[in-house]
Amino acid sequence: MLLSFRRDQVDSNAASHNNNMEAELDSFQRQVAEKFTDLNASSSGDDLLSLEWIGKLLDSFLCCQEEFRAIVFNHRSQISASSSPTNRLVSDYFERSIKALDVCNAIRDGVEQIRQWQKLSDIVISALDSRRANVGEGQLRRAKKALVDLAIGMLDEKDSTRLAHRNRSFGRAKDGHNRSMGQHLRSLSWSVSRSWSASKQLQALASNLTTPRQNDVGLAVPVYTMTSVLLFVMWVLVAAIPCQDRGLQVSFFVPRQFRWAAPVMSLHDKIVEESKRRDRKNCCGLLKEIGRIEKSSRVMNELIDSIHFPMSEEKESEVKQRVEELVEVHEALKNGLDPFERKVREVFHRIVRSRTESLDSLC
Amino acid sequence: MEKPGDHATESETLPHKSNDLENTNHSHESEHQSHNNDSTEKATPESESESESSQLSLTQVMEAVDDFIQSLSSSTDPLQEIPPAVEPFPETVDSLVSKMESSGLGRDETEDSAFIDAVNRISISVMRLRELNLDSTPVSSWLNRASSVQHHAVSLLDEEFRHLLDRSIENNNKKKNDHDESDNNDEREDAFPDFPPESIATLKKIAGAMISAGYETECCMSYETSRRHAFKEELSGMGYEGIVNNVEDVQRIPWESLQGEIASWISIVRRCSSVLLPGEISLCNAVLPEQDHAKIRKRLLTGFLSTVTIRFLDFSGAVVLTKRSSEKLFKFLDMYETLRELALAVEQSDSDLIHEIKLAQTRLGEAAVTIFGELENSIKTDIGRTPVPSGAVHPLTRYTMNYLKYACEYKDTLDQVFQHYEKAESDQTEPEPENQREDDEEYKTSAFARQMIRVMELLDANLEIKSALYRDPSLRSIFLMNNGRYILQKIKGSTEIRDLMGQAWTRKRSTELRQYHKSYQRETWGKVLQCMNQEGLQVNGKVSKTALKERFKIFNNMFDEIHKTQSTWIVNDEQMQSELRVSIAALVIPAYRSFFGRYKQHIDSGRHTDKYVKYQPEDIESVIDDLFDGNPASMGRKRT
Repeated sequence: MLLSFRRDQVDSNAASHNNNMEAELDSFQRQVAEKFTDLNASSSGDDLLSLEWIGKLLDSFLCCQEEFRAIVFNHRSQISASSSPTNRLVSDYFERSIKALDVCNAIRDGVEQIRQWQKLSDIVISALDSRRANVGEGQLRRAKKALVDLAIGMLDEKDSTRLAHRNRSFGRAKDGHNRSMGQHLRSLSWSVSRSWSASKQLQALASNLTTPRQNDVGLAVPVYTMTSVLLFVMWVLVAAIPCQDRGLQVSFFVPRQFRWAAPVMSLHDKIVEESKRRDRKNCCGLLKEIGRIEKSSRVMNELIDSIHFPMSEEKESEVKQRVEELVEVHEALKNGLDPFERKVREVFHRIVRSRTESLDSLC
Repeated sequence: MEKPGDHATESETLPHKSNDLENTNHSHESEHQSHNNDSTEKATPESESESESSQLSLTQVMEAVDDFIQSLSSSTDPLQEIPPAVEPFPETVDSLVSKMESSGLGRDETEDSAFIDAVNRISISVMRLRELNLDSTPVSSWLNRASSVQHHAVSLLDEEFRHLLDRSIENNNKKKNDHDESDNNDEREDAFPDFPPESIATLKKIAGAMISAGYETECCMSYETSRRHAFKEELSGMGYEGIVNNVEDVQRIPWESLQGEIASWISIVRRCSSVLLPGEISLCNAVLPEQDHAKIRKRLLTGFLSTVTIRFLDFSGAVVLTKRSSEKLFKFLDMYETLRELALAVEQSDSDLIHEIKLAQTRLGEAAVTIFGELENSIKTDIGRTPVPSGAVHPLTRYTMNYLKYACEYKDTLDQVFQHYEKAESDQTEPEPENQREDDEEYKTSAFARQMIRVMELLDANLEIKSALYRDPSLRSIFLMNNGRYILQKIKGSTEIRDLMGQAWTRKRSTELRQYHKSYQRETWGKVLQCMNQEGLQVNGKVSKTALKERFKIFNNMFDEIHKTQSTWIVNDEQMQSELRVSIAALVIPAYRSFFGRYKQHIDSGRHTDKYVKYQPEDIESVIDDLFDGNPASMGRKRT
């Protein structure tokens, strides 16, 4: 192994340089392992796939990306010979990372969709605010309308197209009005073309990813590591946030030989587990907060349907309780969504920056 | 507390009409008017008796409600029951709602106003009563009915709101089709969104009513949805859907096609910046003009602007990721400038969006710097060993100068870009020693000028090296003259470059040209002139025939040689070519003429004159005219 390093080295201090490089690569493996062990440890119950947890995942990505960038920089002389296999490896990574950019943009649409749900739940909360007088029929109707729109808005993509064909609003039916607010919200996908598919994008990200052998030299291992991290992060985002043609079918597997494989695969398995749960199978995104809104709003909807006027005290207190639950979810979203979106944007920018720099030094 | 008696009195003394609700259609009543339309007055005997409140005109009822609301805030005793005049108000409004449902808003302004006033009143009543949180059952029951009706009414308003906002889309499309034949598109250009003032007034009233009713979120959602949809349609109409947005796909498009997409993007974004976005901002300000609604307005606008403009940044971001190459520089700069306009248009938006636009610009700027740097590299690496035949202008000179000339059209933008770059660099490296260029203000202040000069200096150095490839020093001078002249002409030909490079720099180049000229003359013609020197021709006071013959022979050989060689040389610039010839002629012809005139007779021995005297003074000129033509000279004798 030392001999093949020497062949690549330009430096005369081959030996010490080799040791430095080895140490550097080793430290990278260690860092990745630490980050994911951490994430795995904080992924119990309600934390997994919450806005906060995904935020931590994105932070970890940024750290790993930084260290990877440093490694590439330190090895630029090795990389710049255009025929070297290292050059091909590294450029391949940066080409791949471009696919991730499209995922980030699609996620932005998903976040916007969640914002609309937030507004609908806001309506429910203010309608049923019983701090003043008791809730009247009008307020109930108002809440009910918002809840129906919310339910439509949160439908899984496949269901919503079926619904669109069946739903016709009454009253003055003009073309633009055949859709309820919920359906309107879905149609405003801006960032990706109609034919774009998140699951296909993930598959493309994962394609031709060859696992390096244990003693592969040079940058094969760090490149594989960084690619896996990138793929995993994008996979999580697609799993959590609504986006066009979501699908988690892409096969993701990391062999045990890598230190970080265990925590990453554990997280992967937990998330797959989550996606198979009965109550989350057809949801439009596995984000914890989405599940909570869905549940709260469904319960509220059922409650409202069961109310006859005049409202009994029992019903009144039930309404109060459900509103409080909804307020909790609403607050969590309100505080967490903007910072989350900024983080995704940061990931986007970092990937771009990293690619640009490295390519400039590669030519 | 309100006295029921008062209302009873009112209902007895005011003239009443039956079927008031139907008549509101035709009445011209507004809040300030109280006269009745004669044709609809129907005073029936029954209506003058008890429970007259149902026969009150809408205005009267609303006045009663106003009084009621007033009393709620002023009285101290908790309200126990609802005044009779006010009692049927919810149902009154409900009938109005049903009527409006079938006829729609936006047809009769008075009608709309009346309706919205009614809705406002019921909203306020509901809100005030809810605040009071009273125990009384009749009050609760009234409140319940009122809140139901309120919801019904505001839902209708919401639907109408969206309908009105959407209608402009249809109008716009209709107008587009109508205008296809007309020449005058300017009016249409500036009318987006295209709402008639009546619609705006109605929208404003509805928005106000919805917000007063506490339905701010619904109002904003409807507005956003409708406007986003309208905007998307407008973009579609401009061909935006055709532009590839996918980062990955953009990388694969060949540059020729991508240029077209970029051009479309530029024209679309510019139209947005100059027409569409200001239009949306105006619309929002018109629909929500109140100072009280400033926060709502800002939130609405910011959200809208972010959503629609971030997409433009996706495309520019994707383009800037493509492989760098020199041909892309100017399109990148065009995009940079387009984004600058966009940033201005969304000034009122929040800082995140503006930050994103600036970031997108920075990316483009960095790419521009890199590409420009490629120019420097391509100069440095142009190290061919073969000199350009005939000393002509080198392709590198042409390429570089044309590139720079084109670049100067963007000098302000490039200046911005390089300033940004220099700042980033100086944060990392130590500052370079300043060049002494006191008389060149432009140099000191313009970052781009500094770059230009660097490139020029590199070019000069490169040409210097290339000139050394010529073994003939005269040809070396001609080469330097050609290239120097080309550079100078390019610079003089453009005000931008000339100002950028500065006076001193231009003067210096002219001086250098003159020096090359002098070198050439010396190298080529020095010896020629020397052989026409009188010294050494006279021996003991008499002209030596041998020496003279020798001199003539030398002259002929030299001259022929120069003719043969230098005719194949090229001087590209016509004016310089003529100047050269003129200067050579001015140098050689008088000298030869005087030499010829003085000494020809001494070898006029009839038969062999021709052997020595090959050229008449007139012939010299025609030979000189052959020089620097780039054509091999016909060496045959020219006879005038």
